Amino acid sequence: MEAISVVFTNLPFLLLGAWDTLKLTFFAVLIGLVLGTFIGMGRLSKIKFINIPSTVYVEFLRGTPLLVQISIVYFGLPQLGIQLQAYPAAIVALGLNSGAYIAEIVRAGIQSIPKGQYEAARSLGLTHWQTMRYIILPQAFKNILPALGNEFITLTKDSSLASVIGVTELMRRGQFVITRTFQTFSIYFGIALIYFIMTFTISRIVRYIEKRMAVA
Amino acid sequence: MNEFLLEVKNLHKSFGHLKVLNGINLNVSQGETIVIIGPSGGGKSTFLRCINHLEDYQSGEIIFLGKKIDKHTSNLNEIRTKIGMVFQHFNLFPHMSVLENLILAPTKVKKISKEEAIQKAKLMLEKVGLSEKINAYPESLSGGQKQRVAIARALMMEPVLMLFDEPTSALDPELVGEVLAVMKDLARSGMTMIVVTHEMGFAKEVADRIVFIDKGVVVEEGPPDVIMKNPRNERTKSFLRHIL
Ligand SMILES: Nc1ncnc2c1ncn2[C@@H]1O[C@H](COP(=O)(O)OP(=O)(O)O)[C@@H](O)[C@H]1O
Ligand SMILES: [Mg+2]
Repeated sequence: MEAISVVFTNLPFLLLGAWDTLKLTFFAVLIGLVLGTFIGMGRLSKIKFINIPSTVYVEFLRGTPLLVQISIVYFGLPQLGIQLQAYPAAIVALGLNSGAYIAEIVRAGIQSIPKGQYEAARSLGLTHWQTMRYIILPQAFKNILPALGNEFITLTKDSSLASVIGVTELMRRGQFVITRTFQTFSIYFGIALIYFIMTFTISRIVRYIEKRMAVA
Repeated sequence: MNEFLLEVKNLHKSFGHLKVLNGINLNVSQGETIVIIGPSGGGKSTFLRCINHLEDYQSGEIIFLGKKIDKHTSNLNEIRTKIGMVFQHFNLFPHMSVLENLILAPTKVKKISKEEAIQKAKLMLEKVGLSEKINAYPESLSGGQKQRVAIARALMMEPVLMLFDEPTSALDPELVGEVLAVMKDLARSGMTMIVVTHEMGFAKEVADRIVFIDKGVVVEEGPPDVIMKNPRNERTKSFLRHIL
């Protein structure tokens, strides 16, 4: 009984953490979207000077642990004179990381658009960038929306790693409560439920948007 | 003074080791309608795509309005606005309405005002007989309607040369006529056109010349009645026997 009530008495404290988790994830996804769109296009560029760095970026960030990346940004960068608070550091690290995954999603999205679309636009006199902006990317984003939703969900869960550098998101706040109450199982289980409610809601929202866009 | 709108001289193009164009020569005068015929894989599409530089080429010259079109051409986008292209598979933008398909390039490339572009789009849709489809999306149109919209979209840029790459070969037979009718009107209005097609009725009616391309060269060219009735080359003869 006490095991359950401890979750409820600490719920406001935990929900503040959940709110931070959402904000953290939201800003990271925003960075990831901008970064991923450009790097995804870069991956498809015929210009080596653009293509190779984009490929290296994607391979490196996907091939190294997020925990190490967070540590580099928070503990490592100060040695190079770049000092970030824990919260912005977490946003940057998660954003850079999701940028790599989103780049691959965007790349696949662009490749899913028939070549004739690009050619029709160019034959009308549109530049490469205008073609990307008005023709290719709008269609690509419609196709990759489910994959982007998945990335949002993955990042919501992965943001729990920000707890190791002291960001008071959901996981970290859960650990605080545990050190006070020693209710390890119920608190961890409680925050698992909160994570699940968040990710489930996001997936429903994405599905809703998807349906709306399919109609338009 | 240059009398030709388009001159193609000894054009060579290969994809890797595959030689696709092996020295194409063709001059096109203002107002001419040229019909290109030839077996599949002979290089007809590649030839058209070289003209507006959707494909680069290895050697030869393409001179349009007195200027060379090649990979060093700096105002390629501007030149492309003067060359309309119509594709076998229409290539309408599916996320845009018919109106949006038509006004995108005029507003973004030519920077004319949206109001002006809309006025023009209405006139153009009237021309191709699709005024009532102005707010429709491509997926709701028949193949013939799609192709007519694609023609209208190209005409919005006021091109001086129109390229058609098998514009009716993806259509159900009963829809071919409406597209050919629009193209005939266009030819009669004085537009310079290069049309890859095997619609020999169309060729007979409006072509000034028929050009037979095979294995990347112009094998034979001449007025429709000559090419269709008395072709000199054996390859032309056997090809025509197949399609007529
Ligand atoms: N992008 C490409 N890459 C490689 N080969 C190509 C490409 N486009 C066309 N080809 C080849 O070039 C040849 C000519 O094709 P094409 O110009 O489409 O002929 P046609 O339009 O007369 O049927 C064909 O053998 C075709 O397979
Ligand atoms: Mg072809």
